[in-house]
Amino acid sequence: MLIAQLALNALALGSAYALVAIGFVLVLNATTAVNFAHGESVVAGGFAAVALAMFLPPDLGIPGLILLPGVLVVTAVLGLAIGALAYLPIRNRPPVSVFVTTIAVGIIIANSLNAGFGAAPQTAPALIGVGSFEFLGARLSRQSLAIIVTAIVLIGGLAFVLQRTQLGRQFRACSQDPEMARALGIRLTRITMLAFALGTALAGAAGLLLAHQFFISPSDGGSLILKAYIAVVIGGWGSLRGAAAGAMLIAIFEIGVAAISSQPVAEGLLYIVVLLVLFVRPQGLFGEPQQVRA
Amino acid sequence: MSSLLRRFPAIHVTTLFLILSATSAQAEPLRIPILVPITGFLSLEGTSQQNGAELALAGADVAFSVTDTATSPEIAINAFERAVDAADVVSVIAPMLGTQMLALIPLADEFGIPLVTVSGTAKITELGSPNVFRFFPGDVVVKAAQARYAVEELGATRPAIISQTTAYGQSGRAELDANLKQLGASPVFQEALDVSVKDMLPVLLKVRESGADTLLLHLHSGPTALVIRYARALGLDIPIIAGSAMHQPETAALLEPAELKGVCAETGSSPVSEAREDVRTFVDAYRRSFDREPDAFALGQYDGAKMVLSAIAAGAQTTDEVRTHLQTARYEGLAMTYKSDGKGNMAHSAVIICYDGADRVPDVVKRYENLTGAL
Repeated sequence: MLIAQLALNALALGSAYALVAIGFVLVLNATTAVNFAHGESVVAGGFAAVALAMFLPPDLGIPGLILLPGVLVVTAVLGLAIGALAYLPIRNRPPVSVFVTTIAVGIIIANSLNAGFGAAPQTAPALIGVGSFEFLGARLSRQSLAIIVTAIVLIGGLAFVLQRTQLGRQFRACSQDPEMARALGIRLTRITMLAFALGTALAGAAGLLLAHQFFISPSDGGSLILKAYIAVVIGGWGSLRGAAAGAMLIAIFEIGVAAISSQPVAEGLLYIVVLLVLFVRPQGLFGEPQQVRA
Repeated sequence: MSSLLRRFPAIHVTTLFLILSATSAQAEPLRIPILVPITGFLSLEGTSQQNGAELALAGADVAFSVTDTATSPEIAINAFERAVDAADVVSVIAPMLGTQMLALIPLADEFGIPLVTVSGTAKITELGSPNVFRFFPGDVVVKAAQARYAVEELGATRPAIISQTTAYGQSGRAELDANLKQLGASPVFQEALDVSVKDMLPVLLKVRESGADTLLLHLHSGPTALVIRYARALGLDIPIIAGSAMHQPETAALLEPAELKGVCAETGSSPVSEAREDVRTFVDAYRRSFDREPDAFALGQYDGAKMVLSAIAAGAQTTDEVRTHLQTARYEGLAMTYKSDGKGNMAHSAVIICYDGADRVPDVVKRYENLTGAL
């Protein structure tokens, strides 16, 4: 029962982290640069839910699920703004320039949320209400179930778009060889901005899911981007499947390993795993070896 | 003279400058810069500190400006150097973040400027600086109250401690551990958590396995609420005595009243729980000014700034005179009576608050006065 409980908690936390990490990879693939404002995009999604919830009648107990489309739209627009401000003007410069501009935008987002909502942690409405039920001999809260199902639906939908649609093929073409994609008539800027919108919307969804279960505050972005980064390093730089697997591994360490050791030890062991992956399999668990074009 | 002035226009300029300088020197009010962490992980508490200081200084014949010190010592040092560059600075409202205070103390000693703060980190008053004045009971006081309430009032014999891995967390955990051992109730379980930890199930399972009969917390706001929520969901029905973060109305707002039932916490004061007329006046003014509920950090910083103003009202015009006043005077504040113990610890009392599960406003259930014997 204990193991089942820990496994369910890890699955729920890992699902939310997976949304964060996959959104991060989408932008990474489209730009080959790291979007360090991604953590703040998660936080912005949480606060968008908090703000939208203010328009709901508090006594009716309307589930947060109806907020999800609104949060996706708000954060998609935020993603477009991040792309337009922090990437497009300097896209021809070295990737390190984008590090700096996205860090700057992230700080602006965090400080704006701090000014607008205050520094206190906030909680968003539960996606499908509160309460829990028995599952495999363990207690599964409705919010945990909602996190898992929402992550499966959103990630599954994204995988379908990327694998089965013309848009997805354009995405993949741009990420594999941008110059060739441009030569073939694919509008690179449009695809890049779509990646920012989609990736940030996924981050926003994660923010909504995390905000009820674990609260959200304007300063949370730093730790969230770190988790996304580690997930991608473990799973494979640019691999969506790897990002999801890396996110699950982080959750297993935070919950499973922490339960049999301690939280600081679990964190230390996680970083040892990151180092081992970098030493033994630098391309990550699901990544392909880097090749240099002739 | 007039021909002289016509021949040498520069004399006009110099004379005018001297007149303006003299006028300016007469009109220039004394300055009390406010340096507080209003962004970063301590921004909730830092905003309370800022609001308390602003409310105290508003309307007084002093000039003040607010600078965000965020969370790094470097930013705090830069802010301090810029702030004290101006003339007539008699005191600085200094950040409550312990690591920033530790970085600022050598500078304050170099410039001879009194730092008035609500930082709880024990070490800031153990460095022998004559310029540190802490208006919030330090860990020595509040952790003694927390441990005594657990053992003497609740009969705890097997307490567990969950703290934070930060300097704040380590300082408080050490005090709690020492106090519990002194009271004959050695902790059966202790673990420190990073502030970013989200799922509290692992640590609470270990608390349950340890057979603890009381859970003592020393965590920031969000983690405090998370531990309580997870403990309730897990059915861990042992008394929880939280740290000062629990008394903040923003922390209680994260939880349902039912989840708060039986939860207690230590703090320097709980303004929203007090019925005293002068405290009610403060609470009303605070709500009007900032549209939020005041906490003990706000009230402590309010009292600290008011004591500096009382020094100025008593004739202090320089940093030396303000420092001497803070070192020697006794001040009846709204939260408690303040007096330096010779190290800059001004606050020596604490309260224990508890929630009854009906609402989010706690009751003061126990007062521990003059725990250090300095009054």
